[in-house]
Amino acid sequence: MSTVDYLPEDEKLALLQGTLELLILRSLKLESNHAYGISQFLDRQSGSEFMVDNGSLYPALQRLLQRKWIAGQWKISPNGRRARYYSLTPVGRKELLRATSKWQRFTVAMAKILAPEG
Amino acid sequence: MRQWWSKIRCAFGRRQDLARELEQEMDAHLEFLIERNLGQGLSLDEARTAAQREFGNRTVVRERVYQSWQFPRFESFLQDIRYALRGIAKAPTLSLVVILTLAIGIGANTAIFSFVNAVLLRPLPYPSADRLTILWSALGYSGRAPFSSFEVFHLRQRSKQFDQIAGIWVTNGALPGDGPAEQVKVAHVTSNFLPLLCPRPALGRFFGPEDDLENAPSTLVLTHGVWARRFGSDTSIIGQSIRYGRHRSTVIGVLPADFRLIFPDDASVPPNVEAFESIPVGPWQPDGPSFLHVIGRLRNGATLAAAQAEMNSAATQINKLGGRASMDNFTVSVFPFQADTVREVRPSLLSLFAGVGLVLLIGCANIANILMARARRRLRETSIRAALGASRSRLARQFLTESLLLGLIGSVAALATGLAAIHAIIATRPPSFANFNHVPLDTRVLSFNFAVALGVSTLFGLAPVFSVRSVDLTRDLRERTHPSGGSRRHWTNALVSAEIALAFVLLISTGLLMQSFINILHTDPGFQPGNVFTFRVSVPGYAPLRLIQQKLAALPGVQSASAISHLPLDDAGNWYDYYYREGASPTEQTSVMADHRSTLPGYFAAIEAPLLEGRDFTDADDLQHQHVAIIDDVLAHQLWPDQSAIGQKINLSDSPSGFYQFQRDWAIVVGVVHHVQYHSLTTIVRPQIYVPYPLAPRPSMSFVLHTSGVKPGLATAARVTIDSVSKDIPITHIEPMQLLVDRARSESRFASLLATLLSLIALVLATSGIYGVLSYSVAQRTTEIGIRMAIGAPRALVLRMILADGFAWILPGLLAGILLSVAVMPLLAHLLYGVRPGNLTNYAVMIVAVLVLSALAAFLPARRAMRIDPLTALRYE
Repeated sequence: MSTVDYLPEDEKLALLQGTLELLILRSLKLESNHAYGISQFLDRQSGSEFMVDNGSLYPALQRLLQRKWIAGQWKISPNGRRARYYSLTPVGRKELLRATSKWQRFTVAMAKILAPEG
Repeated sequence: MRQWWSKIRCAFGRRQDLARELEQEMDAHLEFLIERNLGQGLSLDEARTAAQREFGNRTVVRERVYQSWQFPRFESFLQDIRYALRGIAKAPTLSLVVILTLAIGIGANTAIFSFVNAVLLRPLPYPSADRLTILWSALGYSGRAPFSSFEVFHLRQRSKQFDQIAGIWVTNGALPGDGPAEQVKVAHVTSNFLPLLCPRPALGRFFGPEDDLENAPSTLVLTHGVWARRFGSDTSIIGQSIRYGRHRSTVIGVLPADFRLIFPDDASVPPNVEAFESIPVGPWQPDGPSFLHVIGRLRNGATLAAAQAEMNSAATQINKLGGRASMDNFTVSVFPFQADTVREVRPSLLSLFAGVGLVLLIGCANIANILMARARRRLRETSIRAALGASRSRLARQFLTESLLLGLIGSVAALATGLAAIHAIIATRPPSFANFNHVPLDTRVLSFNFAVALGVSTLFGLAPVFSVRSVDLTRDLRERTHPSGGSRRHWTNALVSAEIALAFVLLISTGLLMQSFINILHTDPGFQPGNVFTFRVSVPGYAPLRLIQQKLAALPGVQSASAISHLPLDDAGNWYDYYYREGASPTEQTSVMADHRSTLPGYFAAIEAPLLEGRDFTDADDLQHQHVAIIDDVLAHQLWPDQSAIGQKINLSDSPSGFYQFQRDWAIVVGVVHHVQYHSLTTIVRPQIYVPYPLAPRPSMSFVLHTSGVKPGLATAARVTIDSVSKDIPITHIEPMQLLVDRARSESRFASLLATLLSLIALVLATSGIYGVLSYSVAQRTTEIGIRMAIGAPRALVLRMILADGFAWILPGLLAGILLSVAVMPLLAHLLYGVRPGNLTNYAVMIVAVLVLSALAAFLPARRAMRIDPLTALRYE
């Protein structure tokens, strides 16, 4: 893993970005959510393995908005707060499917290689 | 793509809204966190603090989101430009120096390149210019001779590689049409000549085969200039019969306005021909004179080598036809037309190009040094920026942006300088550029200008990058004074060494060119132009010509008057042929060529050309008496090396029966005159032979009046005198003979003037480079010098230290310059006259000059160092 440390900063970010964006899309699969909700979801689902930094989360949301994979809308939350709710667009849904299957193939392949002999 | 579009939308206009939305969103986020914390039983203050901690740095989030709205590269580029502009404006003197250096350096290059482009790169303005060739005949020692009609006829018969072979011969004639008489250049051309160089006439037609028939009526094609000037651009001129000399001639066509004759200088085909008449080509005179300058157009797909091979065999066959007395040494050479026309200019133009290139390099080295010094002064700033996270490539990019911007401004300024320089050069009009009065500023020149600007600004822009290559944060921030890292100084010193080396090369070449010019000033043209006044007339006949001569000689202040068919160093259509002595072998008969001159008695006395032996012509030297000739010492030595030429019989071509009706004739040599430099001041092109006018009548003659000093009103007096003989004699080219000599010197003057200018610029740049670098180094070492002096170092020692510091790289630069010059100078040999490239005096003078100037440039900073007050220096720290 030490090799990663030597990667230029930009590339390290890119690696994270792609993953984070997929995770955000996944978090919005069932229902729309706001930034706080998304970060809670990711924290909960990963068993607090992923500590998602807002400095990454917000730009990622912006990129997804720019790609029109998600759409933002101001709504009132159940506890009466005004918040910006993000939801998957049809394109975003398609992208989620594509990226999920790609990611799964990737992890399976990784696992096969990394799995101990025998 | 879509992302781009939304980014563009973000980049303009909507950003304010987006930012507000983001703030609200983050506020909501915090509220959620606080609410959750409150639910966990924290106090409001605690809940808020914990929420803020968990949310993280709000500014970072903001920055990163903003970044996602931008085109980071583009915006940082804009930022770089803003920064660069600010940097340029903040140091106006320095920026001005850089921009001026660039304006001069790139401007000079642009100017010279536009000449290189116009003269060497652009094809001649003729259809199928790439297939045009020029043919030269060789007989005996003369390698670039014209052809006889007979030879052209037989070459055509035997040629398959050429689809056209055409000839031209230029003489003086009277301006066609009615109105005041004026003498102009007239070209006699084969009927296929004009179509070869001009796709179609502006009016009418060109010559056709019908114009070559023996009894064809006289026809004329006019240039656009004459047609406009003389006939008021009257389109009904076609088919009209107009006065032409003593006859009448029918105008059949008018050339387009942009038609130009561009021929090699030694072809005697000047660009200012005003009218064309046709000249037939045939096999009727095997030993006729050679006068036609021949161009040929290669057949499509034919190669130069094939054409040359074909001409070789054709020449061999023509030898056997027994044309001119013996032709066993007759050969034909084929050259590309374009390359041949620029044969003379090419080397000087390329040397000039190299010269301005050197100046530019020196300028770049200087700029690199300036920018490097500045980069080092900014090192702390750079280090802080690096510490704050600016990547090295970003810093490098910023330095580059700044130099590119400087380069861009410089290149615009250079364009203006270049244009001014082009105009200045054209105004000086050195003869070898005479054919190229139109120097276009086309895309090639413009792109050259910008490419050079881009190239050099990258070059010197990289220098500061190198000098801050290894930003050592801790050290650079810790050091309080400017760091004076050794390796960085080496760069600067190497650049100054290079400057000195390059400037030295320029100095040496300038010295050589100036020496050549001085030598040319002192050449003996073979005559005294001082008090000689000249003008050209159309000859009304021998008797009136003699009458004019007598009347002119009687004018007050005129000591003697005579006339000749060609003035020395004039551009009149020349005439030369083969000459041989009695008893010469057939080969010898075609081995010596000489310029043929027709004169009146008294010519040599009038121009003070020394008569070495024998006598001048007299009135008795006419057709009825023994035919006589005067030759120059060069010809005398060639024909009779071991004995006096006086009384010897010489075979020459004369034309007693009328203008240009040449025939071979025998004459007795009655005089030997000192050689007169007819074509150039520096080389003996051909010897001369002089024949009395009755033996060789010419339609125009140039009078030479030897006066006793400046005589205002002489031109008017001459005009009145001539009018008293006949009202209808055109007078042209009224000028002092000195002007002809000055014109002949102008080429060399031009070369030495330009070289001097370039060297001066180079010298100023190099000297200021030395000065700049040493001053900087003194400023950096202020503390060190202060300490040295505080512990008792004498001032002289400090002075010596700084001087030694300077000379440690001045001397290697000088050495490199000497080596470079020794290697390069032989290339200049063709531009030099009377001085060898390796001239030791020149080297000695220039070495001393460089040493003195360098010492001066080094001394000023050294003196400043010497005067440093130790206490101030230490306190300053």
